Amino acid sequence: MGLFETAAAKALASSGVFLFMTVLLIAAAKRISTCIGLYSVQSLVITAQIIAVSRMHHSTAGFIVAAMVLIVKVVAIPYVLYRIVEELQAPRDVSSSTSSSQSVFIAAGLILLSFFAVRPYVGALGGDQAMLAAAVALVLTGGFLMVSRKKALMQVVGLLVLDNGIFLAALTTTFGMPLVIEIGIVFDLLMGVFLMGLFVFRIRDTFDHLDVSKLRRLRG
Amino acid sequence: MVLLLPLFIPLAGALCVFLCRQPRVVVRAALTTGALQLAAIGLTVYKIHSQGVLTAGRYLRADGLTSFFLISLGLISALVLVYSSGYLRHVPEGRFSSLRWFYGLVFLFLFTMVAVYLSANLGMMWIFVEATTLASALLVGFYNTEGAVEAGWKYLIVCTVGIAFALFGTIALYLAAVKGGVSPESALDWGTLMAAAPGLVGGRELLKLAFVFVAVGYGTKVGFVPMHSWLPDAHAEAPSPISALLSAVLLNCAIYALLRFDAITSRAIGSGFSHTLLLIFGGVSLAVASLLMIVQRDLKRLLAYSSIEHMGIVAIGIGLGGALGLFGALLHTFNHSIAKTFLFFTAGNVRENFGTLRMERIRGMARSLPWTGSALILGALAITGMPPFGLFVSELLILTAAFSTAHYFIAVLMLAAISVVFGALLHHFQYMLMGKPEDVPLQQPALQASWFVVMGVCALCLLVLGIHVPAAFTAVLRGAMAVLQPAVLHP
Repeated sequence: MGLFETAAAKALASSGVFLFMTVLLIAAAKRISTCIGLYSVQSLVITAQIIAVSRMHHSTAGFIVAAMVLIVKVVAIPYVLYRIVEELQAPRDVSSSTSSSQSVFIAAGLILLSFFAVRPYVGALGGDQAMLAAAVALVLTGGFLMVSRKKALMQVVGLLVLDNGIFLAALTTTFGMPLVIEIGIVFDLLMGVFLMGLFVFRIRDTFDHLDVSKLRRLRG
Repeated sequence: MVLLLPLFIPLAGALCVFLCRQPRVVVRAALTTGALQLAAIGLTVYKIHSQGVLTAGRYLRADGLTSFFLISLGLISALVLVYSSGYLRHVPEGRFSSLRWFYGLVFLFLFTMVAVYLSANLGMMWIFVEATTLASALLVGFYNTEGAVEAGWKYLIVCTVGIAFALFGTIALYLAAVKGGVSPESALDWGTLMAAAPGLVGGRELLKLAFVFVAVGYGTKVGFVPMHSWLPDAHAEAPSPISALLSAVLLNCAIYALLRFDAITSRAIGSGFSHTLLLIFGGVSLAVASLLMIVQRDLKRLLAYSSIEHMGIVAIGIGLGGALGLFGALLHTFNHSIAKTFLFFTAGNVRENFGTLRMERIRGMARSLPWTGSALILGALAITGMPPFGLFVSELLILTAAFSTAHYFIAVLMLAAISVVFGALLHHFQYMLMGKPEDVPLQQPALQASWFVVMGVCALCLLVLGIHVPAAFTAVLRGAMAVLQPAVLHP
């Protein structure tokens, strides 16, 4: 095994820690733009992982996926979201129903929970336990962000974190799906974020606020 | 290459419509595209039945199941386009809500749904199911009212999260296939997977995990309780032709995805697990939706809950399995599509005349709007499964399957739920039809010829399927079943 391969393997092993850190920081963040930045960092860590995995498996398709993820998830989507925050001219706090410290505790609890949840599968699936746990933790915190944050944009961020989790799960267990499928998935995500951005503007124009917990005209 | 036609035509249609300026030209272009699309689907179906499985490249494939669902899509979309040509006369002006955007998005929506049916690869199928949400979200929010924006947002978020779970399920299946020795490049191809399924027994736990996630994910799109929260909002707030498309075509798309996964899972590890899960989802949806129908106040919400109820019945049919259950389930998707289209078109008329869909504000329809009133009665009888309409036959088939496989609890639940629904519809509709018209309808736009045409076609289909399922259609259904249950003998 060459030096690069060893380095890649080490980076892969430690990147779980970085992901856990982004999860905890997103839970603690009070401003929407901080969350968007952290999402970008999180996607960057995942990009690094894709590069490491494709280097280890000598797959060219992997590098294309990595480039695509870099462009879409690290640059394009955060940029679009930043622009939306700027254009909205609305209060920029995340308006959480749990306090910052409570959120961090909950996120830490979810991380612990994910370690326990993946334990029975580690042997069968192969893959690193920390990475699998990171994937599950991303899915869980994404869901947590979506239910606890009241701002429409934060629901989008929650969804993106959740999506990163699923992407990571695919990466650690299967070393990526066929290239065409990966491209389609990322394209769908990009379109989805555009549409959600559009709807965020519509919500502001129609309701004069962005608090989705107050959208409850339709019931029953 | 014939498979590219039904994909290319809606895309070209969307482009044409976007380029047109005059409303009249837009409608004409839309109708022409609709006719071409119907012809292309007809040609595809004909080719499938004369030549067997069609493929185009690695990613497009059409077999018996595709042909059955394409027939239903082709018929309903043509009806919706004809109905829209008469219905959409007053379009609220605004960004993304003009006639051009309406038809353009409808064609994109149709494109994504046809693509779901023609995908040879389960990953690609997922991509297009997600794309159906994206293409239709703006249509749900078309009227730009508070309700419409909220419904559109909810639809977008709930379905995207739901579908993300389906992606996880797809990945788990992929993993199981790769571990079972299928080459990674083709491990999501339907043909390869179906052939390799009996050898995947080793990945039993993984396959179960995959099916749970897929059932929750695509189940969100089908509208299974408790993931149904988007469905009544979206159906009620969308323009009536779109409600018909959502209920009659989109839900079938999701059922189609579930059928494909169910077939692979059943073939690999036996049908016990996946069928039990479908029975549970179906039973819960049926029970909850039928009870919620009693308390509804909005006509289109009522119809939306009825869709959840019928999807529950379809899931029960698939879950009972065997030749009888599956035959009934497939026939039921078709019958439900037509009856629900009929009812949503009626609801569209009610809204045009009364300016509201609140049922307590609508009185004396039998006297003031005789045609719409009769359509409402006919639709109600058809959707509750009265003879001589098609839904009677398919519900009876599913009930027979339940009794013959000794699922007595399911059978009793189904009978009870159908009775509750009948009572609920009777309760709501009698007040709407009887009594003196308090509020005289706002304006009385003359019923368009296009309305009579589409309603006539729907009623005719329901009657024909209720009296005798034509031999040609039975052949189509058998072709669809042969794809899903290669080993079972069919009736």
